[in-house]
Amino acid sequence: MAEYFFELLTEEIPAWMHDAAQSTLREQLSKLLAEVGGAPDPFVTTTPRRIIFFLSDLPLREPDREEEVKGPPRKSAYDANGTPTKALHGFLKKYNATADDILDAGEYVRIRRKISGRGIDTILQQRIPEIVASLRWPKMMRWNSGAHSYIRPVHGIVSIFAGGPLPIEIFGVASGATTVGHRTLAPGRITVAGYNDYMTKLELARVVIDAMRRRHVMAERARMLANQVNGTPSVDATIWAQWQYLTEYPGVLRAEFRREFLALPEEVLVTVMRVHQKQLPIHGSDGRLTNSFLAVLDNEADPDGNAASGNSFVTNARFADAKFFYDTDRRTPLVHRLDQLAHLQFQEKLGNYLEKTKRIEAIAASICTHLGIDSTDTLTAARLCKADLVTEMVKEFTDLQGQIGGIYAREEGHPHAVWQAIYDHYRPVSIDDLLPRTVTGAVVALADKIDTLAGFFRIDARPTGSKDPFALRRAAQGIVQILLNRDKWQVRLGVDQLIDFALAAHTDATNLDARRELLAFFAERLRTVLEISQYGFAYDEIAAAMEAGWAESFTDLVDRITALKAIRNDPNFLSILDSAKRIANITTGHESTRVDVRKLENETERLLDELANAAGKQIDGMIAAREYRRALESFAAMAPELETFFKDVMVMVDDPSVRSNRMSLLRKIGQTVWKIADLTKIVVDRSEYHP
Amino acid sequence: MSRITFQDLILRLQNFWATRGCMIEMPLDLEVGAGTMHPATFLRVLGPEPWRVGYVQPSRRPADGRYGDNPFRLGKHYQFQVVLKPSPIDVQDIYLDSLRALGLDLTRHDIRFEEDNWEAPTLGAWGVGWQVLLDGMEVTQFTYFQQAGGIDLSPISAEITYGIERLTMFLSRQNSAYEIEWGGGFSYGAVRKQEEYEFSKYYFEVADVDLHWKLFGQYEGEARRCLENELVLPAYDWTLKCSHVFNTLDARGAVSVTERVAVIKRVRELAVACAERFLESRRALGFPLLPAQEQAS
Repeated sequence: MAEYFFELLTEEIPAWMHDAAQSTLREQLSKLLAEVGGAPDPFVTTTPRRIIFFLSDLPLREPDREEEVKGPPRKSAYDANGTPTKALHGFLKKYNATADDILDAGEYVRIRRKISGRGIDTILQQRIPEIVASLRWPKMMRWNSGAHSYIRPVHGIVSIFAGGPLPIEIFGVASGATTVGHRTLAPGRITVAGYNDYMTKLELARVVIDAMRRRHVMAERARMLANQVNGTPSVDATIWAQWQYLTEYPGVLRAEFRREFLALPEEVLVTVMRVHQKQLPIHGSDGRLTNSFLAVLDNEADPDGNAASGNSFVTNARFADAKFFYDTDRRTPLVHRLDQLAHLQFQEKLGNYLEKTKRIEAIAASICTHLGIDSTDTLTAARLCKADLVTEMVKEFTDLQGQIGGIYAREEGHPHAVWQAIYDHYRPVSIDDLLPRTVTGAVVALADKIDTLAGFFRIDARPTGSKDPFALRRAAQGIVQILLNRDKWQVRLGVDQLIDFALAAHTDATNLDARRELLAFFAERLRTVLEISQYGFAYDEIAAAMEAGWAESFTDLVDRITALKAIRNDPNFLSILDSAKRIANITTGHESTRVDVRKLENETERLLDELANAAGKQIDGMIAAREYRRALESFAAMAPELETFFKDVMVMVDDPSVRSNRMSLLRKIGQTVWKIADLTKIVVDRSEYHP
Repeated sequence: MSRITFQDLILRLQNFWATRGCMIEMPLDLEVGAGTMHPATFLRVLGPEPWRVGYVQPSRRPADGRYGDNPFRLGKHYQFQVVLKPSPIDVQDIYLDSLRALGLDLTRHDIRFEEDNWEAPTLGAWGVGWQVLLDGMEVTQFTYFQQAGGIDLSPISAEITYGIERLTMFLSRQNSAYEIEWGGGFSYGAVRKQEEYEFSKYYFEVADVDLHWKLFGQYEGEARRCLENELVLPAYDWTLKCSHVFNTLDARGAVSVTERVAVIKRVRELAVACAERFLESRRALGFPLLPAQEQAS
């Protein structure tokens, strides 16, 4: 058994790329280990400028294997007397075999030969450079002569196998047994004998190679530093994912910004710290933001407080700029900014933001009228929702659009319903994002998003494949998420109506193509949301229920799919499904009429008709009460009578009136649940039912 | 360390890079937004010839003007620009040495290289690199040039751009750019504050929009005429003038989103034409800066 240790020394790799690179590398190495019979789970880690891995318990050779080799046809391998010919001799000689090695049977002569496994060192020399050099990075660069392309220039390689150097070469850089320590704290060269030696020496040279350990050290330090000022660090996975790859020697510092800046909106302070400075805000025991914050440090401590004062300096500078914007902005109320929106283009063919605002107002007004709710606050929010786009603050911190408008509206004394609606109207921007808090917010968010969608569909700028420059999928998904949450209670609104309101707000309302394509687009987004969200619905359940209608109410659709999903595990399900499929097949193309009781010829069909009437009424009632599961169960309960009918009664008789009447009867039964789902869309693996 | 002045910093950087084999160039005598636009960077990174240069470049960014009110933002600031072609493999170490030459003990400060890629749409240029954070403050842009004027570069140049007001503020522990000492007892504010105020007012409120649009068209026409006459360096001057006129119009709020895209495209077309023509002209000369044995026959 032997060990292999590898280090690639490069220049600072962007923090956000490390995790993905590690997992690709781990995957590639595992594949190699499986081939050569090494222990699984290679140790892979990275520092900002090193890629490191360690393979333990490697066999010295790959296993020997046997191979069958096909030789000449038997006909030409032996002459008429059964004596080996020249051809056979030649074949055997080539593979260093004898006549005893020849296998029985077959049209051709075959031998089995043993191939001894290559030494692991040879394999590593060939494969390691391939694996490392072929790692794909999101943004590659060239350097020096420009001959090679990688994430950053390659400086050195340590490659050690079984205690000795194993020479390899990547991008013209030859491996050796030396590396360097921390860039500024211990920049000297270090010669290493293997993984353990490397780890120990690097630690002394101020490099903690294990990313997880760096993270733990920093997390502990962050907690302690925040604790000293009776606070807690913000919970922020994004920051931690970056910090561990921004340092070789993990450290955290605490610094302060000037207290006066706490008068700025918390959202602005937090955005500056998190997004622009990669700092972690500290909240006090009362939950409010304090003027202390944490920052990453590539050193265990900040001996002279230089890094703390530098960080304070920069953060104060940023906040001073933000304060300048904030003070300037507040001199002009949002309502006085609307004229400026006329100079801000939304899209060439869709006009400026003032025009967009007018459409949002019109759509919001239609929604309020439809819902029968007072529209005063909604319309105020709709009118002001885009005004922050011409504030200095949003020009500087674009991520805060909406939020800034909301904050300014709050400070101007607008009621909750108004400022929160402005604040929330871009939400949700992802499947995990918060939804607008209020009905007003939901209405403005719906109006804004549907206006964007209707506009771009109207001018034929639809997303294609991976291209969606105007984030229309996100807009549609946002609408789906909002309606899924609210259309049952406060916002009783179908997406079909919403589309009509929006197309009416765009001047050419009668664009039937846009309407049809928007509906199809929503159907697709809805399917996606239902599949990926916490519901966990299967594709065919969604398809079956959507066939019975979806655009009027998303929540009703969810109820119907939930019922389907529940009944799917019911043993009666197969019979329900059989009945549904049978009825659909038989009645294809049939124009249904009222069942004429006088034409029912025998007892079975008369019984079934009575049952259909009774059960139909019952099921109708259940559907009206949204008791979809019970409705489906009642439908299933008709299975025995239906089976008897199919057995006893011939539907396809010659007499057209009798035939038609029987089909109408079947259709009547089938129709009882068509309002819930088209069961023929359900895919059944019958083995589940008949094990 | 005694309080470092603005000119100390410039002199030390010039000395440092001169001893590292750089030629110390002078600033370009035109209005530009960054040291990158100086022909000593934009044109010299093209083609196979080696190049090593350092210079100060006054950089005008009309939209960054704050009437002299903001201690950190300036409508005109100064950059110290270094270009090393081909990029030496130890270029980061050389850069750290330049900080040591400014008097910094790097074991007592935090230095980090954080990803920050650079792109200049008006120049058809982009590069990959970092912002260098000194105790959390961005003091340098470090870029490996990948493309300029739409041309893939080979060899690759390393560009190091120091923000020298910031660095002086940091080293002299001043909270405002206006409070740093330029040299000879003059403060930066005493030298430049009036200029910041007047140019902010000019770019934001006074600049004649019609005139600037007219100038843009005329400068563009003249650049094209120069190119037709195979005069690439004058053509590039006029291209830079177009770029500045565009920045002025932009600060004045006179460029709509659609116009913006179109105008950037017009400047880029000129820059790309200049880059192509310059490369051709060097080829015609047989790339004279190449070592003798590599020169094209």
